[in-house]
Amino acid sequence: MDAPQPFSDREIAFLEALVAEGVDFLVVGLAAAALQGAPAVTQDVDLWFRTLPDPRLMRALTAVGASYLPPTASTPPLLVGAGTELFDVVVHVHGLDTFAEEAGRAARIRLGRVEVPVLPLARIIASKKATGRPKDLSILPALEDTLRAHRHTAGSDDPAH
Amino acid sequence: MTIAPKATGPDAADPTALALARRERARAVCDAEPEASFENVWHALILLEEPPLDRLNRSLIRGRAATVQR
Repeated sequence: MDAPQPFSDREIAFLEALVAEGVDFLVVGLAAAALQGAPAVTQDVDLWFRTLPDPRLMRALTAVGASYLPPTASTPPLLVGAGTELFDVVVHVHGLDTFAEEAGRAARIRLGRVEVPVLPLARIIASKKATGRPKDLSILPALEDTLRAHRHTAGSDDPAH
Repeated sequence: MTIAPKATGPDAADPTALALARRERARAVCDAEPEASFENVWHALILLEEPPLDRLNRSLIRGRAATVQR
């Protein structure tokens, strides 16, 4: 019997709901890097939303039986409920252009039943460099080597570039 | 986006042949990009042979296991 996977039907159902409602979002961070083949580990999946709160996001959350906790002075916005526990809400990504510009060059990656927009590996590297935090800098060699692997094994139009 | 396992060349059913072919691809990357780490490229090539959902689950399983072990 296969072991249960952390990212399974419930999480995919939430992404499907986001796409169905037309929510403007990007998968960012190390989950985005892992999706593009980087040997990186992460505990969660960061989602960058163009606007918060967004009525379309609220409808997507309702559709899967989840809800939204707005930010407070000391806490970020949170997604609560079935299928959303793995996701973290990102309101700003260091070192990047506007959401619209980054979304315009997003990679499109299929996760089961749904295709989602993902920040390309080269842009993840740019954001990690911009933060300057030790934990972000320490993963850079693995991300950069994955990008090199893409360059030499995939077509030049690979969206990870 | 997904780099599928090589269907031609080495016998797709032979893991040793696949690994040898992958090793050559990793060496070619490192030859072209001398600053690259062979180990990083090797593991990236393995992951790129898997579907994106499997790559993500690998990352999450290891990330969460690391948290438990802290």
